[in-house]
Formats: sequence, C-alpha cells, structure tokens
Amino acid sequence: VTHLVKNRKDTNYVQIDETLCNGCVLCMKVCPTKAIRTKDQRVANFVGVCIDCGECIRVCPRGAINAVTTANDNIDKSNAVLSFSPVLCSQFFGGDSPNKVYSGLKKMGFLDVVEPYEIMEMFNVAMGLYINESRKKKGSPRPLISPVCPVVVRLIAYRFPSLFKNIPPILPPRELVAREIKKHAMEVYGRKVKVFHVTPCSAKMISIKQPIMVQKSYLDGAIGINNVFVELMEQMRRLGKDKDFGKPVRVAIGWAKSGGEIAHIGDGNFLAVSGMQETIGYLQKIEMGLYEEVDYVEFRTCPEGCIGGPLTVGDKYQAKNNIRWLMQKFGVERLANDNDVKKLYEKDWFFVKREGQIFERERPRHSLAEGIERQKHVEEIHQLLPQKECGVCGSPDCQTFAEDVVDGRASLESCIFLNPHKGNGEKG
Amino acid sequence: MSVLVAVSHLIKNFEIKPRDFLRGGEVAIQVRHILKSIGFGEEMVRRASICAYESEINVVMYGGPGTLLLIADEDMITIEVRDKGEGIEDVEMAMKEGFSTSTDEYREMGFGAGMGLPNIKKNSDHFEIHSKKGEGTYLKISIRGENSSDSSGEK
Repeated sequence: VTHLVKNRKDTNYVQIDETLCNGCVLCMKVCPTKAIRTKDQRVANFVGVCIDCGECIRVCPRGAINAVTTANDNIDKSNAVLSFSPVLCSQFFGGDSPNKVYSGLKKMGFLDVVEPYEIMEMFNVAMGLYINESRKKKGSPRPLISPVCPVVVRLIAYRFPSLFKNIPPILPPRELVAREIKKHAMEVYGRKVKVFHVTPCSAKMISIKQPIMVQKSYLDGAIGINNVFVELMEQMRRLGKDKDFGKPVRVAIGWAKSGGEIAHIGDGNFLAVSGMQETIGYLQKIEMGLYEEVDYVEFRTCPEGCIGGPLTVGDKYQAKNNIRWLMQKFGVERLANDNDVKKLYEKDWFFVKREGQIFERERPRHSLAEGIERQKHVEEIHQLLPQKECGVCGSPDCQTFAEDVVDGRASLESCIFLNPHKGNGEKG
Repeated sequence: MSVLVAVSHLIKNFEIKPRDFLRGGEVAIQVRHILKSIGFGEEMVRRASICAYESEINVVMYGGPGTLLLIADEDMITIEVRDKGEGIEDVEMAMKEGFSTSTDEYREMGFGAGMGLPNIKKNSDHFEIHSKKGEGTYLKISIRGENSSDSSGEK
C-alpha cells in the first residue's frame, strides 16, 4: 500500500470546500479511516489516508464536501465512449424503461454508449466457477470477497491487508467493459477511444486514477450520475413515448441494490452486506477467522448498495422500489451463455495479474520498543481525557486525540474539558 | 479499564461483561488496534486478535464477570483471561474440535460450534488453561514474534 500512500497527496477526489465548511465535527466522526481533523474549529481537512468512500459527503449539512469526477468540458465527446452503472436506470421515478435511459444517453453527443449488462452476467458465471474451484482447493481463503466495490478494496488494503488474498483476481465488470470497448475500438469506430463510466460512486475516480487491483485502469474517467442527470432527463423527454416500454430488463439491473450481484452466481452460501459500519464489522470478524462457512460476500459500503452512492440523485429506497418495479413489470432476461463464458474463463479472459508489491502493508517507522513506549504514552493520555468523544479538540474521538497528542499533531490544551477556558477556538 | 506501566511492557486490563452480546468482540477489536499501532507484524496481530476474540466470546457466553489482560513486549504478546463463570467440567473434552456444551439458542446465533478453545490453541505458541466447575476459568495465551529467538516448540 506504500505506493498508494505516496500518491495520495497529489490527488484527493473527495474534497472539502473551505468557504462552505464551518468546522463542525460530523464528517470527522463518520470517517472510517479517521482521516479528517478540524483546525481551530473553523475548517475540516484531510490528514490521513482517505479511501474516497463518501461517508463525509453524505453527512455534511452544508454541502461543503464533494467528490470530483471528470468534468464534462474535459471530455472530447467525439472520441469518448460511455458505459454506466445500472444505478442510472433506477433514478427515473416516472416509470421510464432502461432502454429509454440508454436511448437518452445516446443522444448526449458521445461517440457511443455501451450497456454493461451482458458482461455483468458473464462476471457472475465466471465468479461462480472461481468459487467452485476455490471450494475444492484445500487452504483457499474463505470467505471470498467481491472485487466490485472500490471502497471495500481500499478498506482492505489499508485496514485489513491480511484479507487481500480473499479478493479473487477477477476484473470488475466496469473494467471488463472498458477493456473490450478499447480492444475493438479500431474495428468498430476506426480509431482509438476513451471510455468513461457514469457512476453513483465517489471512489470510482480514485479506482481509475490510482487502481489497486490492476496496474492501470482501462477506464479514462468517471462521471457522476448527478452531473448528467438533468441533461439526460431532457434528452429522454425529447424522445417522447417510450418505444421500448415493456421489453424485458436484464437481470444485471438488480446489481444496483444490495444483493443484486450474488443473486445469480449459483448455489452456495453467499452474503450481501451493505453499509460502512456493517462492512467494517464483518471484515473484522472475517480477519478473526469467522464466517469460514460462507463462500462469498458482496460488500458495498454504501447503504442498500450502489443506489445509496453519494453521486446519485434519487432517494435510495425509492430507487430500490423502482428496480423492483422494473423487474416485476417488464420481466427479466439473462442472455449470457454459460458455455461461452466457461471457455473465456479457461482462457483467463476475466483475470487480472496482480502486482504483489503494491499491497505490501506500510510498516510503522518506529521499532517495536518505540511502538510500545508510544502506546503506553497514548494510554496515559487517554486516561486523562473525559471520554465524552465530543470532537471539539479537532480529533474525532478521545482515543485518536491521545494518539495525535503523542504524535505531536495536537496539543493537550485543545481539550475543552481539561481546559474549560481554553477551547481550541479561543487560543491566543 | 486500568493501565499499569512497566519497563518495556505494555500492560492493559479490559473488563468483559457476561451476556453482553451487543458489545461482545469489542475488547478484541481494541486489542487489535493497540497491537497494530505498536507495529507488530500482520500475522502476529491476526493470531492475537483471534485468541482475544475467542476467549472474549467464551466469557460473554459462559463466564461470569471476567477480565482480559494484555501484556505486550518486543518478543511476545501475552493474553490472560480470567472469569468467575461456570467453569469447565472436562477441560480435555472442551479442547476437542466440535465439542461444545452450548445451548441450541447459542448455536442459532452462530456461536458455540465448539471451535473456540481449539482455535485459540491453533493460533497461539503457548496455551494454558485452568478451570474448575462452578468456580471459573483462567487462560494464558502467548504469541511469539516472527523473529523471536526463543522458540522452544511448545504447542
């Protein structure tokens, strides 16, 4: 992970607008990597490793935190092919079909738009084969963990590195789609193209610009659903009557919500876990050797799955209902051919070759003896603190504050309980 | 929770509440955080966390009030767990994989598969257990450093 820590500084895709931030504690409190501190009770900033999960975007009452995606102006549309997350089809609550959404996207001036559904179905079959193989192999890591959610992959890289082996080296569908578009670009479009992914996810940019699973992403950028929504709706309105209304939707539409990925893998003990706290809780227990009876876990750190992503437009529960409604009303179809997939699987079509050194855990700079002394100091300071977990000092909780004091990042004087007249904001 | 300061050792005591399933596992999570912050290797932290977790859950399920004492020095992580609970009638039986006195209720919750003590033994370098029916249980678990020279082969 050293590689990522180094690169982290220059690109931060989740960003805080200092003019809007008032230095409250909410973002700091929800950050799963404790990467945020507030300075002088005025403004929040990142000091640690951000995994771009977007939890802070969700809680900020002032709209001061946003995820940067590829700006429309920076895309040469004549050379750009779009693909998209099925979440996009869940965002139109007027009963529009996924085909109409697709037709609307095609009117937006890009060279082409490619639906991801078939490759998602193929991914399911391939993963089923992988799970079966791994079940037979003695000593295989259990349970396997889905490689789809980029936040989960990052969370594992930083906080649970021993679980990296549980992630199958299979490319997520968005990468497979982009790879295939590029592979066939010359014959289809007569030129090289760039591929952009329309997404509800705040971590898609970092997964493209600083990937963990692959050396280089096949995607060139990500566009937030919130950035295309208004124009897309207008294009769909202009299309008029929904000509494809009633045509079956693809099963992969279900991937938008939690449980959609595992719905069509096959037989086995599969779990779908969504939400940041739930995901962390499970990863902690998996690391402790629990859940070995489970074959595969579809983790999504966003609540209810990708429909809960920070770059969505519609409410996640309505989006969930919309998916249910589309599948029930239109019926579903699955077109991938299992035998064809098996042949591709055997040719390693789905696999990524991993670069081991990228995943090496960053070792603390201190020796064990120094680490023990430091920890003793942390415990001593923690004992002095009120354990009110208020965050007024600028650190997310008393434990982290104690660590910050020992590491010279904070002063004990900032604790308003220890220094009632010398709160952080009134210093000097 | 109290902290004792000794030369080149970190000693920290945690209390474990019986039947507190909501927080069961929290002590192990804190133990893991401390060991990671100190800078112990991934594998050593993993093994110690498993031992802490399994013994904590044992206390939550069968123990009376209990404590977990973490002692960390450069070469070794030691975990001592004491409880004033039911105690174990036949320690030898309890060490067998799959043996469990667990109730159906616990099994439904995913606990009590009879893997707890064997799992601790499997993940430790030294493991001691003393128990008396009706009086309680004492566990001493040691995990040696990857580079520790002192490896007497005790298992």
